[in-house]
Amino acid sequence: MPLSRAFVDELRAVVGAEHVVTEHEQLRVYECDGLTGHRAVPELVVLPSSTEDVQAVVRACTRESVPFVARGAGTGLSGGATPMAGGVVVSLARMNRILEIDLDSQRMVVEPGVANLDVTRAVAAEGFFYAPDPSSQQVCTIGGNVAENSGGAHCLKYGFTTHHVTGLTFVLPDGDVVELGGKALDPDGPDLLGAIVGSEGTLGVVTRVTLRLVRTPQTIRTLLAGFATMDAAGAAVSGIVAAGVMPSAIEMMDRLTLEAAERAASPGYPAGAGAVLLVELDGVIEQVEDDAAEVERICADCGAFEIRAATSDADRALLWKGRKSAFAAMGRVATDYYVQDGVVPRTRLPEVLRRIEELSEQHGLLVGNVFHAGDGNLHPLVLYDSGAGETERARELAEAILDACLDAGGSLTGEHGVGMDKACSMPRMFSERDLRVFERLRRAFDPTGICNPGKVIPTPRLCGEVPGPYRTHALERIGVAERL
Amino acid sequence: MPSVSSAQEASAALAAAHADGRRLRIGADLTTEGLDRILEHDPGDLTCTVEAGVRLSQLQAALAATGQRLSLDPPGNPTIGALLARNASGPLRHRFGAPRDLVLGASLVLGDGTIANAGGKVVKNVAGYDLARLVCGSEGRLALIVRASFRLHPLPKASRTIVVETEDAPGLVATLLRSQVQPSALDVLHPGRVLVRFEGSERAVDAQAAAVLELVGGVESDDAPWDESRARQAAAQGRLRFTPGDLAEALAGLGDAVVRPTAGIAYTAERTVETDPVPGQALVDRIAAELDPRGVLAA
Repeated sequence: MPLSRAFVDELRAVVGAEHVVTEHEQLRVYECDGLTGHRAVPELVVLPSSTEDVQAVVRACTRESVPFVARGAGTGLSGGATPMAGGVVVSLARMNRILEIDLDSQRMVVEPGVANLDVTRAVAAEGFFYAPDPSSQQVCTIGGNVAENSGGAHCLKYGFTTHHVTGLTFVLPDGDVVELGGKALDPDGPDLLGAIVGSEGTLGVVTRVTLRLVRTPQTIRTLLAGFATMDAAGAAVSGIVAAGVMPSAIEMMDRLTLEAAERAASPGYPAGAGAVLLVELDGVIEQVEDDAAEVERICADCGAFEIRAATSDADRALLWKGRKSAFAAMGRVATDYYVQDGVVPRTRLPEVLRRIEELSEQHGLLVGNVFHAGDGNLHPLVLYDSGAGETERARELAEAILDACLDAGGSLTGEHGVGMDKACSMPRMFSERDLRVFERLRRAFDPTGICNPGKVIPTPRLCGEVPGPYRTHALERIGVAERL
Repeated sequence: MPSVSSAQEASAALAAAHADGRRLRIGADLTTEGLDRILEHDPGDLTCTVEAGVRLSQLQAALAATGQRLSLDPPGNPTIGALLARNASGPLRHRFGAPRDLVLGASLVLGDGTIANAGGKVVKNVAGYDLARLVCGSEGRLALIVRASFRLHPLPKASRTIVVETEDAPGLVATLLRSQVQPSALDVLHPGRVLVRFEGSERAVDAQAAAVLELVGGVESDDAPWDESRARQAAAQGRLRFTPGDLAEALAGLGDAVVRPTAGIAYTAERTVETDPVPGQALVDRIAAELDPRGVLAA
């Protein structure tokens, strides 16, 4: 249903006519996020510049029952920012100011449109950084990070966005504004910050964020270990975790991605390796030295045939360049790929990686593995050619991989979010009853259901009447016969 | 006093209260002492899943047998349920955070008896709403916690404590925070003392302890000051939050207190005056109305 003229004029009056997009060609810029398979052209895009603007916009949407979705840089990988046809996109691109840098408190206050990397850039010279570092950190925004509870390679040690947000200004779908937290930690009462961070834009719109800054470590050491097989590399990861060493990152790449990365970025990874581990340690010098020695010993024990340490910043950058170019490099191997984001307990890595290999053979499609091994977060890339009619087989393979993760006691998604992409898979991890409780929480924030509808929680309209088979939740299965 | 020993029993008790429109006070009308099992601890994963009635000391003893711990050290010996419901932390909060930072998932029973799982047992997971964090600090208002999963840490190989007597705690804390030492705990026992604890490899804690002694002086100490810190926290009559960078202003107005400077929290010997209503209280009320419509778990 087209939006009324009066509604459009009202939004123009709020944000200025030049900040309301209504032309079809311009609207198409917003038709999808990083999950390009889901598209819908919004009816209207509005670019507010203040909390008050956002408040007025969502109030109008609520009054007219027009669904809306907040949007940052649109780099999300689960369709969390996919618009609703007939709905409004609230782009926070203009709200991109750093409002306050308070190094004495180790905090920064920003608007949601500030790019992730710009937070670190603003304080790097003073010896601080912002820890969450999703791969898209050059462009992805803090608002989007808050919505998705973004992680990144270094969240193994430093935690996720939820560990680094200490305060929010939050606009509820009915326009009420709530100030939560601040620069001090642990506000009284239920952890509303914890509920909002990672809620994928379904509970309201964040318009101001207070972030924790972390002191730059004394030293950083990056190690690269080449293994003959994924199994051996997986065993090394389990060994490092079990030994109590806490690297800031442990990344793994398999043969397929190594070859692709080598062609794309020439990082000089060990020739002929079936798997490579990239391990980064940071902190005080003595600790890093001791931990590095331990990591080298474990890798050698697990059969690493080559272990290298980056000896300069340039070396280190090159090792990471290979890892960071891996996704793009896969684009040269296959015309299409589908990325999964499943998580497994770290002790189950070798077993699940073997299972993925079997599934890949059974389905006759290649799977590249490049992932955050230290926290068990897999990113299997299912390679296929949509032109050759492989799409359906690729989807089946991707789902079988997800089932393998859940069977091992893991999760559907470690950092990309549920969004539209995995909403219909939620019944594989949560019972109908769990999902109804999620709905109740959502209703408390958004009783009329206009805030980013169709995301996170499956609906019959979205998924058909038959959800996938429910698999016992990891917390239910533990140790006891009872079924929660 | 009826104690439940399974989620089903808790569910039945709450559903009955819901049907009757009765309030049910957790700890008085119903206790979780029977939920006393450590359900899973996989040392290789550094995670565990426990029932809500398990005492923290019991869990720590079991974990220590494999060289691990839950990095939370609040005063007293709360049950896991109370630990979460109060979001209770101690000196280790400086480096490891509060329960909300270490909880991975939880099973909850709502006021109407509905049992719900949220989160999971893996260290990284963003599927679904984070109800396990939401109930941290809820004081039991939103749901009864029946089990929870946590991220664990290895027990440190070595630790060192430095105590510095000072009249300028804010200046000293600022100096430490601008240095690159990484303490596990940093407390101000106001007035007059700053405690610093390092944990890690033998060489790392030695180097950092030496660096602190050189930077700000002080003496090496055993763990007694930390016990004092926790005891004073337990006896505190009030809790204040302040902007961490304004430590000097915050201390200026305080009598005896245990202060966690990087968290911006002070546990005060004297009662603090309630000033403003809790921000977000209206939102909490809305959530409570959805999750517990008949107020079974209302205070």
